[in-house]
This record gives sequence, C-alpha cells and structure tokens, in this order.
Amino acid sequence: MVEAVKRSLGKRLKALLKPNKKIAAPLVLAAAVVIPQLLFSASAGAGVLSHSETNRSKHYQSQMSQRAAAAAVGAKTPQLQEGRTLFDENCSSCHGVDAAGSKLGPSLHGLGAGVVNLWVSSGWMPLANPGAEPARKPALFDTSQTDAISQYVASLSKGGIPILYPDLKGADVAEGFSIFALNCAPCHTITGAGDALSNGLYAPPLHGLTSTQVAEAVRSGPNNMPVFSTGVVSKSQLKDLVAYVTGYIEHPDSPGGLGLGGVGPVAEGFIGLFAGVGLCLLVAFWIGDRTEKEDKSHSDEEVGVEKAHV
Amino acid sequence: MDEGRNGMIDAIYNWIDNRLALSKSGRHLLNKIFPDHWSFMIGEIALYSFIVLLISGIFLTLYFVPSEAIVTYHGAYKPLDGMRVSEAYASTINLTFAVRGGLFMRQLHHWAANIFVGSIVVHMLRVFFTGAFRRPREANWMIGATLLILAIFNGFLGYSIPDDLVSGTGIRIAFSILESIPFVGTNLAFFLFGGNYPGTDIIPRFFILHVLILPLIILGLLAGHLGMLVKHKHAQFKGRGARNDNVVGSPLWPNYAAKAGGFFFLTTGVTAILAALVQINPIWQYGPYVPYKVSYAVQPDWYMGWLDGALRVMPAWEIHLPGHMVPNVFFPGILLPGVTFTLIYLWPFIEAKFITHDYSEHHLLDQPRDNPLRTSIGAAVFAFYFVLFGASATDVLANYLQVSLNVVLWVFRISCIVIPIIVFPVAYKICLELQKTPDAGKRKRHVIIVRDPEGAYHSVESAEYVGYVAPELNPVDIEEVDLQPEIDALNTPKETPQDGIYQVPR
Repeated sequence: MVEAVKRSLGKRLKALLKPNKKIAAPLVLAAAVVIPQLLFSASAGAGVLSHSETNRSKHYQSQMSQRAAAAAVGAKTPQLQEGRTLFDENCSSCHGVDAAGSKLGPSLHGLGAGVVNLWVSSGWMPLANPGAEPARKPALFDTSQTDAISQYVASLSKGGIPILYPDLKGADVAEGFSIFALNCAPCHTITGAGDALSNGLYAPPLHGLTSTQVAEAVRSGPNNMPVFSTGVVSKSQLKDLVAYVTGYIEHPDSPGGLGLGGVGPVAEGFIGLFAGVGLCLLVAFWIGDRTEKEDKSHSDEEVGVEKAHV
Repeated sequence: MDEGRNGMIDAIYNWIDNRLALSKSGRHLLNKIFPDHWSFMIGEIALYSFIVLLISGIFLTLYFVPSEAIVTYHGAYKPLDGMRVSEAYASTINLTFAVRGGLFMRQLHHWAANIFVGSIVVHMLRVFFTGAFRRPREANWMIGATLLILAIFNGFLGYSIPDDLVSGTGIRIAFSILESIPFVGTNLAFFLFGGNYPGTDIIPRFFILHVLILPLIILGLLAGHLGMLVKHKHAQFKGRGARNDNVVGSPLWPNYAAKAGGFFFLTTGVTAILAALVQINPIWQYGPYVPYKVSYAVQPDWYMGWLDGALRVMPAWEIHLPGHMVPNVFFPGILLPGVTFTLIYLWPFIEAKFITHDYSEHHLLDQPRDNPLRTSIGAAVFAFYFVLFGASATDVLANYLQVSLNVVLWVFRISCIVIPIIVFPVAYKICLELQKTPDAGKRKRHVIIVRDPEGAYHSVESAEYVGYVAPELNPVDIEEVDLQPEIDALNTPKETPQDGIYQVPR
C-alpha cells in the first residue's frame, strides 16, 4: 500500500525533476498540442502531433540510413531493413539484439507483429525512460515505421498474432455493444471511460483508438487485460465490437449536453449539488435579507462620535 | 345576489364567499409574516423543485411504459437498433430520441430530483444548526425527516425504472440488502420483488410507487409541513425588534409573494439551464439491464452515495449465530440508515433531555455558536456522512489521482473515524471563540483616522460600511380578524339529547 503510493509519487517526481532531452522534447510538443486538443478535437490534435513526430523521425532516419543499411545485412526486404534499423536504435537497448531480451526487457520472440504494433502505436513503447511504467503517450513512429518494426520483430521467430485490419463493412454495432457490455464493461466501464481496479491495476480509457489497436488488444491482452480468443469473441463478433468501440465509445454525437467524462452519478451529483443547489442558494442570498442589516443598535453612539470628530 | 361595486365579478365573489367564507381565512393567510432572512428560503428551493418534478414527471408518464416485456428496439440510436430490450427501456429510449423535448424533460426531471434532495438536506442543516426544531416544532422536524426519507427513496425508484444496466445493478444491491435482514430478509425481499430477482414485477411495482403512492404521501406531508408552519408561525433570528412573542418581517401579500414568485422562476431557471446544458443519466450509453452483464464503477445517485460508500468501506465482517448468519451488508445497508434516521427523529427530545434541559417554547433561533455542543455534534456527524459520501467514489478518485484503489479505500476507512473525531473539538472551539467575538460574521466597517485641533490622531470606526442605508424598522401590527367568538361558539358544551342525536351551532 505504502509502496504503491511511493511508487506512484516517485514516478511523478522523477519525471518532473529529471528532464532529460528524450522526454523534454515530446513533453514540450505534447504541451503545445494538448491545449488546442482540449479546445478543438482529439483527432485533430493527434493528427498534428503524429505529423511533427514523423518529420522528426524522418530526419533522424536519414541521418542513420547509411550506417543502418550497412548493419542490416540479414534483413531481406526494404521494410525489414527499415524495421531492423529502427529496432536497433530504439528498442534493442532493453529488448536485446534480435529481440532476444536482456536484463532490462523481455524477449519479444513468439509475440507476432500484432503485439509489437499495438505496443508501439499506442505509445506504450518505447518507455519514457528505462524502468518507467508503460503509459499511453503520442506514438513515436508513424504507421509505416511501426509496421516495419512489427514485421521485423515477427520475422525473427514464429507464432503470435499478425497485424489485424478488421473490415468494418457491414458490422453490427448493436451486437458489438452487447459484446462490449458483457466482456469489456466489467473493467473499462460501460461508457469506456476506464477506471482504477484493485491493487494498483487500472483499465485505461478506450478513447481515440484505431480499429487495429482495438482488435489487437482483444486478441493479445496487453498488461493485465485478459486474452479474448476466437472461442470467446468470434471473428465476426470482433468486427462488431471494434465497430462499436471505434465508432461509438466516444459518443461523438451523443445528445444532452456536457458528458461530464462519462463517469456517471459521481460527477452528476457534484454538479447537482454545487451548480444546482449552490446557484439556488446564491439566488436566495441575493434576494433575501442578510445578517448585516439585522442589528444596528450598538452603533448609535459611534455615529455621534464620528460626527463630533468630522 | 348582491351587486357589488365591480358588478358581476364582485357578485360572483360574494356568492362564493357567503358559502365558503374565503375572505376571513384568506386574509389570515395573506397576512402571514415571513421574516426576511435568506436562509429561510432554502426550504422553498425544495418546494419549487418539487413542482418542477411534478410537471416534468407528468410529461414523462405519458410516454413511459412500465413493463418488463421483451421487445425489439428499432429506432434512431444505432448501437441499440435490433436489440432485444424491456419495454420500459425501449420506451425511455424512444422518449429520449423520438419525442420532441423528451430528452430535455428527462434531464429536467433528473436534475430537479438532485436539487430537490440537495435542498432538503441543506434546509435540514439550517433547521438543525439554528435550533429551529425545538418546541413547538418537534413534530414538524419529524415530518421533514420523513420527507427526506421519502425523497431519497423516490429518487432511487425513479432512476431505477428505465431498466438500464447501471440502475439494474442498483436494484440488485437493494435486493441483497433486503435479503440481509436477519430471519425475515429472504421472505421480505421475495414479497416486495414478487419472487426471486430479477423477476418481471419490479418495474411495474416501482413505477406505481414512484408516480402515484410516494408523490401522494409527499404531497400530504408537504401540506402538513406548511400547515404547521402557518400554525406555529415562522421562527426568527434575534434583532430587528424580534421577540419570542412576535414575528417581524413582511406579509405574504404582496411583499413576500413577489419575492417568492421571483424565486420560483429563478430556481426553475437554474434547473432548466442544467437540463439544457449538462447530460444526466445517458441510459443509451449504458444499454439495457441484463443480469449477467455488469459495468465497473457503478455508483448510485448522490443522495444514496453515503449508503454505497458505507457498503464499500465496511470490512468483511459477519455474525455467525447458531443456525443463522447475519451477512456483512446488513450493517452498512440496514443498520446504519436505521440508526441514522432514528437519531434524526429523536434529536429534539435527546437534546432537550440530555443537553439543554430546556422544554420551553422557542421562536427565536440560535446562532450555531450559541449552543456549541449541538453544533459540534452536528458537525461531527455530518462530517462522518460526508466522508461516507466521498467513499462512494473510491474508484473514480483512485483513477483520477492514479493511486491504488486499495489505498483510497483504506484512507476512507480511517477518515470516517478520524475526521469526525477531529471535527468535533474544532467546531466546539470555534463556537466558543465566536461567542466572544460579537461582530463575527458581519461585514467590517471602515476605520477613519481623524486629526483633532491639538494635532493628535484618533482612529474611529465608521458607523456602517460605505453605501449602506439602514432601513428604519417600525414593525406594524397586522390587522387581525377576530375569530374568537366563532371558536367560542364552536366550543360551547353540547346538550346531550336523550335519543343520542347531537347538534352544534353554525
């Protein structure tokens, strides 16, 4: 318990007190992007970020390309070569040469391209610093770079899941909603807002995800999430589920006004008490009498005193 | 018919008045004096939001179908299109999306319910901390407490009947709490729910309780509450010529009626603004209730929050009697509210017997500082329930602060014991300090520095703060209609005829 508080506080303090360049740049970028993102829309903001990140990475890549080309002897296609370059630059310091694992990070053999794609595209990987908890942040690589890394890692071993591209044509969102309520809502909440589970575990919010990410998460079970295999969620059900999560979980045209974060009656009660009852009390205070007018008997003498002086 | 000055209108009025004697009782009512203090208007917020509840509720009743029959929903909201849902849920969705103004009315009704219960609680705190429940108002205090229970209970029924996933979980908890009552629990739960949970009787039963039976009881008690208010006359704060044997303020007509009328529209306006701008209970996002489906992080509406918090905070203790087990939920679910409301009902008598030893009539209110023991007990108990209320959001807080849920839970377990223990002496000490500070709570006045002809400086406090014009208060006696002769006539002893037939004079 105390450990958990320490860990959580320590994480924040570390991030605040030790701004190395690797974190600082995305942090500044993130700050520049988060504000317009809050003001306008999540998708527009994310677009801006991935665009500028792309430029940065491309520049980086061109610098390294010659050295990488020389190093990537074993890789057969240009995509695998690019993947190997990016892996060696960004991932191998923890996951080891050829993704075989090291003291700092596990082996990635047998995971398949889908798992790598999910972890890199969600910003979980690379970590903010070695030893940090994986956290959602803007992805460091664009789609083709992420694919390259994923295919490269997958090419090193057999097994795992491929990158999934669910075809949402003809998906039944009502069936998807039903599957969501049965399998996902028990942790992610029915509105998809995410919540804290017991013992420091948590279910993240499901906003701003691509259909590929949702499908890969369902099939691979990242972090403490269980794996939902085809025996639990069939292939066509996965399609329905992905259509619901990507199309409706953010309730883009949900009527009724401010959604209050989708956390339900706690937020509603807060607004009801402080905005509702609070405003009514202010109105009463405004149109009713206040205590100041109540009693002026003691001031009669002082009126006399004041006049005598002035 | 007597033709009056205004012809036909007077004539009709006189005709009615001759038969119902409206003028006499009406004048008496219109002359009722309302002391002008803003805190006396808190109860009115509850009254006005109740009116909003009645009007919006009638609208909703026209479209809601209280049935658990399964239908296939076809309508505007795609993720529900083609889903098999109960008729109650389908009709609520239709009411939301297909009826003009339906969503607004639903949100108006729900926000008004939140404000209704909230203002009752604030009103009750005002009555408690100013000692307004003392003789002769003990009975009215108990009616008020009953109204609070009914308001909470009716709120629960109201948000349960749409049969959505979140409220369905709440009904499940309510069923389990009923089952936990020793010896009679299971039978009682089956009796009230018409069989085992979920069954098909809950929604129709909750509906008839929600729209007919409880509102009627609330209306009746409300009439009693206000009737006793007229009978006892308002209590009032000290000052401005107020004594224990008079009431100082403005008469109902025309002064106070104008103020109260304006206040009605402003309260309604606040509720309507919330209803138009802020979403509440978006059941289309929750989906229909299916017993084997559950959403994480389900809380009740705020007025049930303290009970939910108590359920969360309670350690897993249970009592094993020979042949019988008292389950864990009994203590926070039944015992806690039972003890709470028993103490609320009995408080006027507990205070008179053990604290003040004062059984005389009080029409002049205390400032909270005047009775430190009452104030600090009230503050400590309120702090206890406030912590429990906060505990209903353990998961939301844990998620928001990114701390382990277990840590948050333990913080609340400790806080609900420690915080009241801290609040009690602090409140007591503040009361004692305020007693020694006569101008506490009043606006500060300017200090004027004056130089006298000898050259010495004096600082003098100004009489009032700048711009303030004190009203001259000369309370005028209201012209009273003398009803005594009629009362005397009613009370004259009746003669008992031999055949057992009685008569009274008209």
